[in-house]
Amino acid sequence: MDTNAKTHQQWLQEMEAESRSKQTRFINGISEKLRRPMVSEPPRHPYRGAPDFWNAYEWSEEERIENFTSNFKSAGGHVERLATMDDAKRFITEKARSLSAKYVIRNKQPELDALKLESELPDARVSVWNEETTAGEGPLYWKARAAEADIGIVMADYAAAYTGSITVRSSKDKGRSVSLLPTVLIAIIPLERLKTRLGEIMVHFDEGGRENLPAGIHFISGPSRSADIENDLTIGVHGPGVVYALIVG
Amino acid sequence: MKVSLFITCLSDAIYPRVGEAMVRLLAKYGVKVEFPKVQTCCGQPAFNSGYWKEARATAHTIIEAFEDCDFVLSPSGSCTGMIHHYPKLFEEDAVMHEKAIALQAKSYEFTQFLVQVLGVTDVGATFPHKVTYHPSCHGSRLLGVKDEPMALMSNVKGLEFVPLPFADDCCGFGGTFAVKMSEISGAMVTEKVDHVKETEAEVLVGLDMACLMNIAGNLRYRNEPVRVMHLAELLYEGVKHA
Amino acid sequence: MSGTGGHDHSGGATVKERADLALNNDFLRKAVKFTTERLKNGKLKAMEEHGNWEEWRERGKQIRLHTIAHLDYYLNQFTENARANGVHVHFADTAEEAVHISLSIAERKQAKSVVKSKSMVTEELHLNHALESIDVEAVETDLGEYIIQLAGETPSHIIIPAIHKNRYQIADLLSEDAGEKLEPDTSILAGYVRRKLRQKFLEADIGMTGCNFAIAETGSMVLFENEGNARMVTTVPRTQITLMGMERIIPSWSDLEVMATLLPRSATGQKLTVYMSGITGPRRSEDADGPDEMHIIIVDNGRSLQLGDPEFQELLNCIRCGACLNACPVYRHIGGHAYGGTYSGPIGAVLTPSLQKNVAEWDDIANASSLCGACYEACPVKIPLHEMLIYLRRRKIEAGHGDKIEAAGMKGFATVMSKSGRFNAVLKLGKFGQKLVARRGEIRIKVGPLKGWNSYRVTPSLPKKSFRDQWGTLEAEIRGGLQEMAPDVKSRMERIVKERANGAGGHGHGH
Repeated sequence: MDTNAKTHQQWLQEMEAESRSKQTRFINGISEKLRRPMVSEPPRHPYRGAPDFWNAYEWSEEERIENFTSNFKSAGGHVERLATMDDAKRFITEKARSLSAKYVIRNKQPELDALKLESELPDARVSVWNEETTAGEGPLYWKARAAEADIGIVMADYAAAYTGSITVRSSKDKGRSVSLLPTVLIAIIPLERLKTRLGEIMVHFDEGGRENLPAGIHFISGPSRSADIENDLTIGVHGPGVVYALIVG
Repeated sequence: MKVSLFITCLSDAIYPRVGEAMVRLLAKYGVKVEFPKVQTCCGQPAFNSGYWKEARATAHTIIEAFEDCDFVLSPSGSCTGMIHHYPKLFEEDAVMHEKAIALQAKSYEFTQFLVQVLGVTDVGATFPHKVTYHPSCHGSRLLGVKDEPMALMSNVKGLEFVPLPFADDCCGFGGTFAVKMSEISGAMVTEKVDHVKETEAEVLVGLDMACLMNIAGNLRYRNEPVRVMHLAELLYEGVKHA
Repeated sequence: MSGTGGHDHSGGATVKERADLALNNDFLRKAVKFTTERLKNGKLKAMEEHGNWEEWRERGKQIRLHTIAHLDYYLNQFTENARANGVHVHFADTAEEAVHISLSIAERKQAKSVVKSKSMVTEELHLNHALESIDVEAVETDLGEYIIQLAGETPSHIIIPAIHKNRYQIADLLSEDAGEKLEPDTSILAGYVRRKLRQKFLEADIGMTGCNFAIAETGSMVLFENEGNARMVTTVPRTQITLMGMERIIPSWSDLEVMATLLPRSATGQKLTVYMSGITGPRRSEDADGPDEMHIIIVDNGRSLQLGDPEFQELLNCIRCGACLNACPVYRHIGGHAYGGTYSGPIGAVLTPSLQKNVAEWDDIANASSLCGACYEACPVKIPLHEMLIYLRRRKIEAGHGDKIEAAGMKGFATVMSKSGRFNAVLKLGKFGQKLVARRGEIRIKVGPLKGWNSYRVTPSLPKKSFRDQWGTLEAEIRGGLQEMAPDVKSRMERIVKERANGAGGHGHGH
């Protein structure tokens, strides 16, 4: 196993060396086609991002809630407007009971820890993503926990009202699978994270820069869908078929 | 002000009545139209088929024919659109290139000239018929002639306008396309005529005789009694009867 | 997937022959018409609702123009950043190289199965077939792609690959796959595919994707999709391979906002696809999901032929939304397979020949357009496809691959049309000649050059006098009754002429 891994590393290194020498030829070929020497200074990009009128566009809080709700619903999702995290807790536990959920998985986030779902849902097995008590369990274990789950619960990092989208960033404590593999997805959106435009979210990724990006950033705008059979809409093809967005605050 | 008519080869040969209607209508507004007889065809059939050398030969003739006038107007958005390709056609000939740009700048499709230059949207016509309109692709998409014909028609007394379903769809003419890809072209014109029939209009009006010849040809083939007219003809007939 | 390309299953050697066959397939025409119409209307509605569409379109075009004009810089930047994220980046000049790299990775990983999300680049490379040749199962996981893979076909639309199949055909295919009878009900069929593919995702060794956009400044790759299969493919298997056309680059996430505004609206009329995912490298060591190892293969495969070519460089701006297909009246009548290549519709008619160096291999594909410009009007980044089609035709003629008879005809056309006297003489000859065939002002015979035309139409005959014949009389008549020109009209005309001399004004061309 060890020697195999080592040769794999060697193989990767060989591939990399090949790639680097190819890169020079490949990029030079492009410069040549463009009939000029390779550009090494960042070119001035006068059209970066959305037009100015758009960057100035902003909705009031009520408009954001209204528009998020109507967009998310028209994509087949469900939206609840809740005052407090206690209401969110009540909603989730009632939903889990009414669906007779046997397996629940949630991200390991302080707001979700505080809901104490583990004790509120004694009939369900509630897994907490990548929890330390299960240290030593690898990706295979977590893949199985997410795949078996009836409900996945996440906190949204951002949301955009204009498109009705929730944004989740992956991390050690935030599994990409949690918002993907379960049958039902519940995402809690703290009101202050609900923006008007996608651009208000994107700007964080540009400003934070490469080093601060997680491996996965996902914008989710409703339940999984397809129109591939006779253009007839089907919900829940691969991802969650039922999605709740809980706007809290 | 010298205003010259670019009749286009199709209207010259087959539909002289369109040119006559244009000239007579414009006379009402004091526009004394000239007709330089050295003109021929815009060269589009050759240009679109990839024969640019041949297209250049005819474009040359057109550029010279209209060199000394202030405005050039034609009954076809497509042929006017072809003039817009002349600068590209002569991009390696500085002298002709400049002349091509000058010609482009002074070329107008008929309704463009009427509305944008003369400022006319009501010619005082009466035409008590049910009318539908096919916006030809080159005029509407490439020259942007969209509002002008609608404004002119909306001011014709008695004219009952019925929108053509899927009006923006190409009629399937496309010059040599209709010959080279005759089956596809045939399917397209058949569908266009199906839509014309749906409107139950008595008259189909348009701004390009090539497209209208195509649609009229299919209407006649199917023995449909819809009358097909250029808008200039409709307006002139409406003025005569007013 | 048959993997043998699009040339084998639609019958007919030429675009014309395949198109004629498609035109006789009533179901195909209805299915394609119905769906493209829905997508087109969805786009129009989304454009209107969003507002300022022309400004967004112009912005999209400018971002793409800028990126492609500096592609060496941005591609290099992307590569360095992706490497810094832990991605293994590879370069492939040709399809063969891209396939070779993909297979080496699969062999090295001793992979038994690959799950794929929709990718037009892999269609270009016929990668599924190559994987099967080394006994690696390649499973398409997009619902439409899975269906056509079972049918052994290729996609006939960029966005809706199985646009040409109805639910009964799909039910038959899936029933055979399932080994039991499935009812032709969309939710039953999709439910079956969900269960079946869920297993495939969990078992697969490699996940393979295309790439909608690659962000140079952060080395991230972005995928747009509705089903969640691309997320599965990039989350569940331990190795991820992404095949990316070298032109997929945009500089920043801010630029992504513009693309995210244009792409889904143009493709399906959605404000955003259900999922938009930005993947920045393999899983971090502390993460509990995501691939351990990630490869990105940057593919040229003919794309650089358009670089530096002023007539075709804009082709690289394409964001693969399919709006030109939905807008195209020709596509709607003949469907995607008639085009005979990986890409169909107006973009395919231009892209397929452009990706090939050898003009002699060009099909008559560029002729399958009436040049109506609907594609240009629909394009969210304003690619003048209708003009490129003319350029392709010209290049074919210039390279000596034109039709001999047509060339002679065009030469004759130029001879006649460059001198009005000759034109007049030909008209007179025509009037004489038509006496044999014209009846009551119409010509209905179906022979010679009129065969195709008169199979659907009646041709008008030439009137007794052409316009130029009448002009003398007409001119004399109107000179008599000429009205005085209104002073405001006169001054407007003078102003227009003056402004024109100053280079202002102009009632422009469509782009």
